[in-house]
Amino acid sequence: MPLEVPSHSLALPDGVDPQALVSFLGERFDVVVEPVTSVSYTVVDTADRRLRGAGADLTVDGGRSGPTLVLREQAGAAPLSTDAGRRKRWLIGDLPEGALRDRLAPVVEMRALMPLARVQADVQPLRVCNREAKTVVRMRVATHAALVTGADPVPLSPRLEVTGVLGYPKPLARVLGVLSTEVGLVDAPGSMADEAIAASGGDPEGIRTKVRIALRPDQRTDKAALAVLRDLAGMVEVNLPGTLDDLDTEFLHDLRVAVRRSRSVLRELKGAFPPEKLKVQRDALTWVQAVTGPTRDLDVQLLDWDHLLAEVPASRHAALTPVRTLLDRHRAAALRALRRDLRSAAYRDAWRSYRTFLGSGLGPARDRPDAKRPIAEVAGRRIRKVYARMVDMGSAIDGASPAAELHDLRKRGKELRYLLELFGGLWPTDVVKPMVRSLKGLQDVLGTHQDREVQADHLRALADELAGQAGGPDALLALGVLVDQLDAEQRAARAGFAERFAAFAARDQRKVVTGTFRP
Amino acid sequence: MKIVATYNIKGGVGKTSAAVNLAALAAACGLRTLLWDLDPQGAASYLFRVRPKVRGGGRKLVRGRSDVAELLRGTDIEGLDLLPADFSYRHMDLVLDESGKPTRRLRKVLMPLAEHYDLAVLDCPPSISLVSENVFEAADTLLVPLIPSILTLRTFEQLGEFVDAEVDRRPDIVAFFSMVDWRKRMHREVVQSLPDGRTDIARTSIPAATEVELMGVERSPVVVHAPRSRGARAYADLWAELRERLAL
Repeated sequence: MPLEVPSHSLALPDGVDPQALVSFLGERFDVVVEPVTSVSYTVVDTADRRLRGAGADLTVDGGRSGPTLVLREQAGAAPLSTDAGRRKRWLIGDLPEGALRDRLAPVVEMRALMPLARVQADVQPLRVCNREAKTVVRMRVATHAALVTGADPVPLSPRLEVTGVLGYPKPLARVLGVLSTEVGLVDAPGSMADEAIAASGGDPEGIRTKVRIALRPDQRTDKAALAVLRDLAGMVEVNLPGTLDDLDTEFLHDLRVAVRRSRSVLRELKGAFPPEKLKVQRDALTWVQAVTGPTRDLDVQLLDWDHLLAEVPASRHAALTPVRTLLDRHRAAALRALRRDLRSAAYRDAWRSYRTFLGSGLGPARDRPDAKRPIAEVAGRRIRKVYARMVDMGSAIDGASPAAELHDLRKRGKELRYLLELFGGLWPTDVVKPMVRSLKGLQDVLGTHQDREVQADHLRALADELAGQAGGPDALLALGVLVDQLDAEQRAARAGFAERFAAFAARDQRKVVTGTFRP
Repeated sequence: MKIVATYNIKGGVGKTSAAVNLAALAAACGLRTLLWDLDPQGAASYLFRVRPKVRGGGRKLVRGRSDVAELLRGTDIEGLDLLPADFSYRHMDLVLDESGKPTRRLRKVLMPLAEHYDLAVLDCPPSISLVSENVFEAADTLLVPLIPSILTLRTFEQLGEFVDAEVDRRPDIVAFFSMVDWRKRMHREVVQSLPDGRTDIARTSIPAATEVELMGVERSPVVVHAPRSRGARAYADLWAELRERLAL
């Protein structure tokens, strides 16, 4: 049952004076003009703009009682607010308990909320009333400027925001009609927050994880691969500062995904690259992956902590405090090592070399058999082969197979997934999408199986350290419950493998893969 | 969605004043709030300048044949919507009596709105009837305004006994003294004679104040047109107490 109130943000064309517009509206409608307010605020969102995606605006507004986080979710609804405190960024747990935190939590998840732009605005509220003097349309004429450190304010396009009132659609239609036909106002191309972020030098779309390179099926494989790799390298670079500053866990996650995808491109399309240079660059990326691995493993463990705790009797929670403390300490140590490595001259040199490799040409094509072949042919061949290999590997797995075999299958699955994500656009969506879906279903159980194995091993490895600490014996007993829980989840994942694999390797699916990705 | 109903068997005791002011305060706190004007006299609808008319009337609404979302009206207060009164509500008892599960119909009307609102405030007509039984079944909290006198306290206790005996889903029942005139000895004595630890009567009393009476002239809640007045401050205190009880 939709209750949304329509809202329009209209751009004022050049030459339309905001005050003249207010006078015009006063002549055409029964308008109550309220006092102008001057406000400054900071646009806040996650690095990947999750709130923007959810249609919500979050700002930090100044006030007598200190900075306040204000959430506007829907036109016509009162904003929610809470004390912002003096912070550079907020994780959900940093916010005071209450409605605002409850609304944000499922959208923001583990990401940090960060200031993205500062804005100064003069706002003139207006209300259109009916014969009963009741408000039936709300408007705000707003002039904004982005405040950029060390520079003059950057004026943003003035706007008229028009919001309906629930149950009064006709007056809104009348107002919009007049504004369109008589003043020539049209919907603003983007939100004010987007414009302010762009004026402050940011990307309104936020950090992205999807590669956006338009490939042609007949494009040379080396050119296509380089275009994709450059885009991925950009993702590594954009996530590096947030990783080093440890703003949230996802900067590191996204950095590692971009590195892993890059390694996958270099491996799967190796025939497009000169072998000796390829080895150097693959080794460098493998090193980045290795030095960032321990921190990520601990992040996964800590992100799952509440979920795991929920499965342990509440009476044991206190006993697990030393385990959590130890994990936090290990994570801090892993992060220190990661920072040391990613700030080192070795990393800088390796990255510079990688960027040169991507930018300065790959040399003669004679040593690179796939270089000039069409990308659809080479990537299609790899998709077919990796898929067939996975079908063979999965078919050989039974109840007695060691965990390592499932892990190997998962690693192959990642290769296939990256191939489909990066190059799947070259084939019909109605083939690629169901294939990705069944692969994802399989990877989910394999991922849970592997994650639980790593987590249980990690917890078991804490035993010696815990034994010598205060509360150690109790913690060890409770640790046993946690490890049992992880083992149970691993068994459940394994039990789900056969069904997921059957869907992935179904005869129809095999036919589609062979038919679609043939040269 | 939490549901609060302002209820008293008598009229003119401050039900509508409490409903509109508490709803306005809830919306100002950022809670998505709905006010249902159940009184066919339509005083709450009048205060918000909304026509007291529901398409299809009370019969279609109660029988689930109206799209309740289409009947809602936004008020001048952002975050506060109104389900208006309708003169046909005067026959609601009869309509309810003809329906299956006659004491749960109003709750059923509200349920589709639960995902859209944090709080619904029901402004009830003065009576004890099937409508009030529906309200008792629907409400999480029954808020009962009392003009201070020995008899009204007795009536309040009788209400508690009735709800205990007749209602399956017992709401939290809390009274507050309304229209308190401190110049009257009876008012002073009744309010001051209550023991401190009594949890079924709010600590806050609403004074008999001119600015509260002026709501009908201003056509807005006192907390909007005179937010610093005695009456508005008292409603703010009452809202703070209620919010705590509702854990909102």
